[in-house]
Amino acid sequence: MLKLTKVHAGYGGVDVLHAIDVDVKSGEFVAIVGPNGAGKSTLFKTISGIVTPSQGSIEFLDTNLLTVPAAKRAHLGIAHVPEGRQVFSSMTVLENLEMGAYTRQGQLHWDATLEKIYTWFPVLAERQAQLAGTLSGGQQQMLAISRGLAANPKILLLDEPSMGLSPAIADEIFDRLIEIHRSSDISLVLVEQRVAEALHFASRAYVLEAGEIILSGDQAVLQDDERIRQAYLGM
Amino acid sequence: MHLKRDIIAIALFGLLYGILALFIQNSYYLLLLTILPIWSVMGLSWNLFSGYSGLISFGHAAFFGLGAYLVAILLNSWVISPWISVPLAGILGGLAALMVGIPTFRLRGHYFALAMLAYPLALLYIFEWLGFQELALPMQREAPSLYMQFENQHIYVFIALFLMVVAMLVTAYLSRSRFGMSLLALKQDEEAAEASGINTQYWKALAIMLSGVLAGTAGGFYAVVLLVVTPLAVFGMLVSAQALVIAMFGGVGTLWGPIIGAFILVPLSEILYAQYAAEIPGIQGVIYGLAIVVVILAAPEGLLWKLQAWFRPRQASVLGTTSSQLNTEIDETVLAVSNDRQQEKNVLEVNNLSKAFGGLKATRDLSFTVKQGELLGVIGPNGAGKTTLFNLLNGFQKMDSGAIVFSGKSLAGLPPNKICHLGVARTFQVPKPFTRLSVFDNVIVGAYVRSKNNHEASELASAALMLVGLQDLAYSPAANLTNRELRLMELARALASKPALILVDEILAGLDSKAMEDLVRVLRKVTALGITIVIIEHSMRTMVELVDRFIVLDHGALLAEGSPDEIIKDTKVIEAYLGKKWLEGNAEAN
Amino acid sequence: MDIAQEIENLLQSLVAGLLTGSTYGLMCVGLTIIFGVMRVINFAQGEFMMLGMYFTYFCTTFILAQFAVSGIYLPFFIALFAGPVIYLLGDVLHRLLLNKVSGQRANQLEAGGHYAQLVLTLGIALVLQNGGLYLFGSTPVSVSTSLSYTAWEIGSPEGISVFVNQAQSLAAVLAIAVVLAFGYVIGKSRLGKSLRAAADNPDAAIYMGIDVERAHRIAFGFGVGITAIGGGLLAAYAPFQPYIGTEYVIIMYAGVVLGGLGSIRGAFLGGLSIGVLQQVSASILPNQLQNTVIFVCFLIIILFRPNGFFGRRERVA
Repeated sequence: MLKLTKVHAGYGGVDVLHAIDVDVKSGEFVAIVGPNGAGKSTLFKTISGIVTPSQGSIEFLDTNLLTVPAAKRAHLGIAHVPEGRQVFSSMTVLENLEMGAYTRQGQLHWDATLEKIYTWFPVLAERQAQLAGTLSGGQQQMLAISRGLAANPKILLLDEPSMGLSPAIADEIFDRLIEIHRSSDISLVLVEQRVAEALHFASRAYVLEAGEIILSGDQAVLQDDERIRQAYLGM
Repeated sequence: MHLKRDIIAIALFGLLYGILALFIQNSYYLLLLTILPIWSVMGLSWNLFSGYSGLISFGHAAFFGLGAYLVAILLNSWVISPWISVPLAGILGGLAALMVGIPTFRLRGHYFALAMLAYPLALLYIFEWLGFQELALPMQREAPSLYMQFENQHIYVFIALFLMVVAMLVTAYLSRSRFGMSLLALKQDEEAAEASGINTQYWKALAIMLSGVLAGTAGGFYAVVLLVVTPLAVFGMLVSAQALVIAMFGGVGTLWGPIIGAFILVPLSEILYAQYAAEIPGIQGVIYGLAIVVVILAAPEGLLWKLQAWFRPRQASVLGTTSSQLNTEIDETVLAVSNDRQQEKNVLEVNNLSKAFGGLKATRDLSFTVKQGELLGVIGPNGAGKTTLFNLLNGFQKMDSGAIVFSGKSLAGLPPNKICHLGVARTFQVPKPFTRLSVFDNVIVGAYVRSKNNHEASELASAALMLVGLQDLAYSPAANLTNRELRLMELARALASKPALILVDEILAGLDSKAMEDLVRVLRKVTALGITIVIIEHSMRTMVELVDRFIVLDHGALLAEGSPDEIIKDTKVIEAYLGKKWLEGNAEAN
Repeated sequence: MDIAQEIENLLQSLVAGLLTGSTYGLMCVGLTIIFGVMRVINFAQGEFMMLGMYFTYFCTTFILAQFAVSGIYLPFFIALFAGPVIYLLGDVLHRLLLNKVSGQRANQLEAGGHYAQLVLTLGIALVLQNGGLYLFGSTPVSVSTSLSYTAWEIGSPEGISVFVNQAQSLAAVLAIAVVLAFGYVIGKSRLGKSLRAAADNPDAAIYMGIDVERAHRIAFGFGVGITAIGGGLLAAYAPFQPYIGTEYVIIMYAGVVLGGLGSIRGAFLGGLSIGVLQQVSASILPNQLQNTVIFVCFLIIILFRPNGFFGRRERVA
């Protein structure tokens, strides 16, 4: 569904990502793990179009994404839950969700989608008239994820959803993500620093370090790998 | 040396101008030759402040107008000669600029521009109300030359020329000195400049004051030449716009830019005005307006920069250079921490430090000490409050409660440049270079806080560059550096301020293993000089071998502290990083 | 002067202030939209107001000449049409000029293009102002009708009474109507919400598929169009000339800053307050100093309370 081939990308002429190959199939739950500064956010920005690759190609469902400007990519079915949540703090919860459903795909089945969202995250239903900026971190994260889901996307990209949240809330978020994955055919791509969670739920993972994929494979393979332990705890 | 070259060029230019003037006899052209240098001075005045600092002033007419009215009023009411009142006009301009600038500097970019717009307009109304709709400078029958009134128009041209040359010399000198460098640095990144020890408020105030002096003088002499002053002519928006456009059109932040701008635009608009003003009133405004639009779209920084980009692309990105040179003879011990400092036990003590942003507690009751000469690692998951801690330590954020004591002095409430002065330096998570300066100048800017003159600054900068190994790139524009080189340069800039403590924020992020090794080697050299380092990092593999001790933050509070051995075995730490499930998973496996 | 007279004067100033202030409020709303969504200080705002005035003037005189209708209400309604016309002008200017120095393209410029935007709008202001001087001449014109000197008298003529000028009242009513309509669009319509989202967080808005560049263009069009309507309404009862923009720029900014940059409600209330301030100070101070009071007020707010009093901090609507 989403395929990056030999992608090089960066800022101001300096490449941060080198020769990235990523392949996400329909309905998969894929994780991208790696230390800070490895380029995970850059990778996401490249997929969403904020950053233009200097080399390589990105294909989404047979469309060459490089010909599609950033603002149009959402309309193809790519939803992005950015790092740091980035909710529209001056707008209400419901308005945020409405903005998530800005695309035509999102508008088509809006009522049904909204109901599903409220089932997964009842706290959003309770607070639908509340300003998003006044929500707690965990609630904002739920809102950001729901905003992505509101577009009825084919693929949902999540950038470090557990950042800044307490372990308990992060666990809750992950549980919901699992539910969402099981009950729909959305592909999920998850960037995470909390390696265990990411590996536990994802069917496959890529390990990114210094802008390069150094390891990739399924859950079992990665959990046993010495390199993961070294990368994260110097053991 | 660059400065000598500039002085010679200015002298030649002045000479040529003067000689040209002697050949002209036509009265109208002589007037033009008098007005031209006056507007050049206005352009240089605007440039000296806004061009170098990046704070856009739309209100230079205020200083110009005050100068003009001072001269006119003093001549009218007290018969004081312009020979005295024009310099006084300069002083008034400077004072007004200080009064206007200091309260207004607090404001962010667009608020500043708006406020500056308001000042001359307010003055315009006030002077109209005071009854000065049209104030003429009376002719002095006896001894007119004592009152700057001459039959021979050439004399006016030469006075104007003199003022222009002086303004150019002042600009040439300042732009290469620490004045110019400090302004250029703060223009590009005010935070980084503050952290490097530059007292941004002081330099801004000085710049606007000098700018006001030039503008006031220009206004004063303008009154003498025109012989009549009206509020609209000297306080009107066109005056401020002219100063701005002239500098921008020719080249922002350069010596010759305003001259080029003035010499192209002023004759153009004056001649068109003379020809067409009857049929096309307001033509001057249209010309200047179009000039602004064209320049902003085609060459946003002015003609001079555009030309440089065409003919000398590599150098074009550099805004200015100091006159100092790299000195490869310097020994790096010049950066070493003094002996009495080395005797101290704890270089930094943090007690019950707390900071909240809205409802979010970024730092909770944090307490720890940093021993002299140690390398302390700060780790924790994203969002744990590590960078916030650094921001609190170096003055970018004010703490809500608690105490920070550095070498016995409290850092509470001090601005970053003061903290740098006391001996705390900082590098940033995302490098903050002064992109439009050379590597050497980036570093020398850091040395200003510790040096009394350019020679000392140059020594410190040279030593720092050699320690990090960037001496071969000293004259490259910072814009051309790789990630690794940028981080080394930032470290050098920090070292140049001769700190006792450096706060290093994720300096290894985004580097490959070889580059990481290089940086680690440099960090060890730094510690060998007696400098204490507190470093935030994520790459545990590297940190474990580098640091003496760790503190671990989670959700703004201290989770654990201890030696590397202790920390990697600490279950709380493992859980915070890898997650509980990992722990369970590995417990089963083991 | 006795107390009753003083009270009457004060009330009169208040009423006049509220009426003219409503129109000011409308103009301030236009300005704040541009800042709120684009983060651009538009120095040319006064010139768009001026164009709205001349549009109203020319259309009204043309229609009156061609159709010989009675026109005491005509200029007010023509003023409403100035909105869409000037909107189109704003749209074109944005595509041609402002676009180049805002949004993604601006990131290469220094300070994210803010400096370039500021200066560009100054250039546009100069061209429009002086172009106007050439096209329209410097003689003040007016399209005021008999409504300008008709007033209702409220209160008793022997005791305290206040004159409520009819032209100003009609202008105020229309101004408030436009503000309410616009507020509704911004608050409730999908377009309005997308503008607010683009203002709140442009990056996130792009992720949602919102064309932020287009949002800026629309906001700019709305901003200058609304201010043009305000200008047209003012034209219906006061004389003007091509340089009038400069006078009003500071008035508009004072109102906007008073209300908090980016807040529609704040901008309207700010404009209203400035209107009242102007009228009250006109009754106390000599003529030329009226506007100086506003400038001083503006400076004080900017220096001591840049976030204003009425709106939320740096938010739209």
